[in-house]
Amino acid sequence: MSRNSLEKVLYDLSTSGANKKLFAADPDKFLGRYQLDVEEKTLVRDYRVRDLADRGVNTMLTWGFWLQAGKSNSDYMKIMKREEA
Amino acid sequence: MATIVGGFVVPHNPVMYFNPKGASAEQSATVYAAYARMAERIRELRADTAIIIGCDHYILFGTEALPPYVISTGEIEGPVDQLPGIKRAPIASNAALGAHIAAVGRQTGFDWTVGRAMQVDHSIGIPHHLMIKPNEGMTTVAVMLACGVDPYLPMARAWQIGEHIAAAVESDGTDQRVVVIGSGGISHHVGNERMGEVNPTFDRKVLDIVARGDREAMLALTDEEILQEGGNGAMEIRTYACAMAATRAAGGEVVAYEPIEGWVTGMGFAELKVAA
Repeated sequence: MSRNSLEKVLYDLSTSGANKKLFAADPDKFLGRYQLDVEEKTLVRDYRVRDLADRGVNTMLTWGFWLQAGKSNSDYMKIMKREEA
Repeated sequence: MATIVGGFVVPHNPVMYFNPKGASAEQSATVYAAYARMAERIRELRADTAIIIGCDHYILFGTEALPPYVISTGEIEGPVDQLPGIKRAPIASNAALGAHIAAVGRQTGFDWTVGRAMQVDHSIGIPHHLMIKPNEGMTTVAVMLACGVDPYLPMARAWQIGEHIAAAVESDGTDQRVVVIGSGGISHHVGNERMGEVNPTFDRKVLDIVARGDREAMLALTDEEILQEGGNGAMEIRTYACAMAATRAAGGEVVAYEPIEGWVTGMGFAELKVAA
């Protein structure tokens, strides 16, 4: 649909512990609440932060989204620099 | 009449709390000494209250509504994004002054979004913790400008808001003494592939503008230049413009500067003079 709903998902996940738990338990069910197409849901579910940023999503959100999942900052930077993570 | 008696521009870098060893011991000492010096200056200025001008980082305001500028008119709490050593807590608020500024604004072309029980992030929380909290009895007015999420507040509007704050403070019927603090990093890239790049040339250009009180040069900084040379985080220098205007652009003195790649930020500190 647009970067707006993508940013809404990432904002909701970055600012709510309850949302984080729901997403971790059942990503597809959680993402069903948002106006996202199948491809966009895949980008979020698979933590494809580079692709999200390429669609204009604010990188404050992509970074926070990545870190809130307990993933490493060094892997994040490799992905953002299009290196092997 | 309330009086603006001083001004400052400082960074609000959370990385120095999450990764303290990202800076050398010398760099870290310089940064913390600068904050301490400014806290001492606030004490010397006998300030009663601080207007801290920060900016959201997609933490406080979401896609449902993205306000261009916000002011606290009631209680303040934060930072909501807690840091090691800075826990979320009530911040002593000067609700009356915030409400007065907002009321003046409604009559003069500044339709503030108001926070009547306002949460703030680290852009308010860090300078409050290091500069205001050490001065017992001081209160705070929190101002948030749209610097982190587009649509960004235009630089010229940030300047106008600073001038409006100055006029509104002067029209307040109390005799309180006020300092303004522009809270933001200079060069830094947040979350993108350039994160970790610092640009001392750009940083010193900005600090020179602040020290000269150069309105024209500040407003001549385009978003394109800031994003290219300073990064998306450097859009926060809108808070500097606002603080400069609130002190009537009388210039100032650079207190410290450290380009700290491990803290992903050009960390600049300046004290602003106040025009008579």
